Amino acid sequence: MITINRLTKLYGDFKAVDQLSFEITKNEIFGLLGPNGAGKTTFISMLCGLLPANEGRIQFDGFSSTDTKSLIGYCPQENIFYPKLSCMEQLMFMGEMYNIPSAQAKERAAALLNKLGLTEKANVQAAKLSGGMKRRLNICLALIHNPEILILDEPEAGLDPQSRILVREFIKSIGHEKTVILCTHNMDEADRLADRIAIIDKGKLLQLDTPQNLKKSIGEGDRIEIRVEPTTDKQLDDFVAVLSGIFVNVKRGTDCILMNHVDFSTQLVLIKEQAKAFGIKINELKLRENTLEDVFIHLTGKELRS
Amino acid sequence: MRIISILKKSLKEQLRNFWIVLLSLSMGPFFIFVYYLINESSTPQYKVIVVNNDAGINANGQTQNKGRELFSFFKQTNTLSENLSFTLSEMTDREAAVAKLKNKDADALVVIPSGFSAALSYDSIVGAPKLEFVGDLTSANYLLSAVWANEVVNEYARGITHTKRIIEVAETPLGSSGTINQFDMLVPGILIVSLIMLLFTASIAFVSEVENKTIMRLKLSKITILDFLGGVGAVQFLLGIAGMLLTLLTAVLLGFEYQGSLVAMLVIASLCCLSLIAFSLIVAAVTKSANEVLVVGNFPMFLFMFFTGAAFPIKSDAWFYIAGYPVNLQALLSPTHAISALNKIFIMDLPFGHVFPELIAIAVLTLLYFAIGAYLFHKRHLKS
Repeated sequence: MITINRLTKLYGDFKAVDQLSFEITKNEIFGLLGPNGAGKTTFISMLCGLLPANEGRIQFDGFSSTDTKSLIGYCPQENIFYPKLSCMEQLMFMGEMYNIPSAQAKERAAALLNKLGLTEKANVQAAKLSGGMKRRLNICLALIHNPEILILDEPEAGLDPQSRILVREFIKSIGHEKTVILCTHNMDEADRLADRIAIIDKGKLLQLDTPQNLKKSIGEGDRIEIRVEPTTDKQLDDFVAVLSGIFVNVKRGTDCILMNHVDFSTQLVLIKEQAKAFGIKINELKLRENTLEDVFIHLTGKELRS
Repeated sequence: MRIISILKKSLKEQLRNFWIVLLSLSMGPFFIFVYYLINESSTPQYKVIVVNNDAGINANGQTQNKGRELFSFFKQTNTLSENLSFTLSEMTDREAAVAKLKNKDADALVVIPSGFSAALSYDSIVGAPKLEFVGDLTSANYLLSAVWANEVVNEYARGITHTKRIIEVAETPLGSSGTINQFDMLVPGILIVSLIMLLFTASIAFVSEVENKTIMRLKLSKITILDFLGGVGAVQFLLGIAGMLLTLLTAVLLGFEYQGSLVAMLVIASLCCLSLIAFSLIVAAVTKSANEVLVVGNFPMFLFMFFTGAAFPIKSDAWFYIAGYPVNLQALLSPTHAISALNKIFIMDLPFGHVFPELIAIAVLTLLYFAIGAYLFHKRHLKS
């Protein structure tokens, strides 16, 4: 288990990470969800030992070592590799940097390249790989020393659909052998892969639970999204006030209303009648399940991709 | 051994960035070749025309032409020293020869009179034969040619009259000026130029880890700063020594004859090489990319090339002396001492013990550069 206790990082007066406390269970896929600037990368840097914390501590229990260098493999958001070395050469080199004997490093490198579909590119210089291949090589480099904890920062960023599926399957396959910390602002990625998700913003933990529970937390049933033609604030406020008596988690934007109801089909006629009564014209009406984005909007009042 | 892995990896990267390696390796031989050409083209050639009007005489049934003898004597003694060369040519028409002088195709004209042989015969009743020297009196080339021709004529006269010099002049060459030429004097400096070019390759090798952000991967691994500096530095060291040996080989092929021991030269070069690699760390610390190195690196390169005596000899007054060893602004630049040491070994052929002050100075500067470079590099690139 990784225990994060009151972790804080300050840059001058700015709190990049603010009293962050939670636990990550061994061999789970843990999602860290937050918008850009939420403090995810700062937190990961502290977890890897690249950045000292101003306050708080991180404790690793139940792992074979407490040496973070052996314990953690980090795949940063940016593709970082030696452009003039071939895939095999740089994997072997990085392995040797972790004191792995050459023969063993070569064996591991070949296995990783095979798992991530790069065997044919083993002897190709990294600079000559496609974007998706570079991303996959980046993941191989994080795993070459066989770490027990793998941190993946936006692993699917910039990947083509085929590579995305390959990487996703790979993460799933190692999910129960290693502790995977998946740092992303891609809700779909987190939803599909993570066992539990921590939502952080402005350096603070907002909520931590399984994806299902997070989605339930903002209301059971269907998520209804209504888009209306521009109208006066008063008209819209009055309309929302009526809807709030029928639906749960009602939120309004300038031309949009979001809400939940366990059985939407019974309320469709009512919505249309009320809209007509308030002189509001409905342009679009969408019905879908709750998403993590809804959860995030509910928690922070802003969209995750902003 | 991690350091060996870094060395191997750095060597591969270096060889695959072959343009930079080529630049580094070729600069020394290139400078050698350029200086050789400059030296060759600036070595003066003095052209003297002889018009022999001597009619000759008949003595004991044989024709004698002293004018022809004098011309042959001119040809035999056509050099005063290795660095002064006179080219003799013979013409029959004085006016045509004068025309050549006017066109600067020749520097001096010596006209041997028609009665030259007759005047030099034992039963001559005429006075001394009168040789005519023609030339541009404002030209240094004419003056040198005339002095030489006059000296040759006097020597010829002493020979045929069997008279001795009443005053002998002994010439003592200053320094090694009697045995080596300007090109030889420049070679030690240019050998160091080939090492100075390491500033670029070494700085780029260090900074590429920052530019590619792979420094982060290294920080996450078990590598130590000494592994990193040792591995990258070792490749640069080999590159530096290879460049210098290539430069020396070029110089030797172009006629450079070194004195002293090659081992002593390698010791001096190795120490200088280390100091320049250490200095490269400072350059790498203040830059973030290879492009920046290629701009910023020019400043120390100019300092090292033009203020240390590498590109050409310079002199400056000492601020003070430490155990008789002069210390001034240039003394803060390690190549200054390396060039001084190479001059002592290569040019003056002094024993190795005479370069200890220089070796100590380079060692001290290497440590100083390394301390500053390591501190700055750590502060700028290794601290998160």
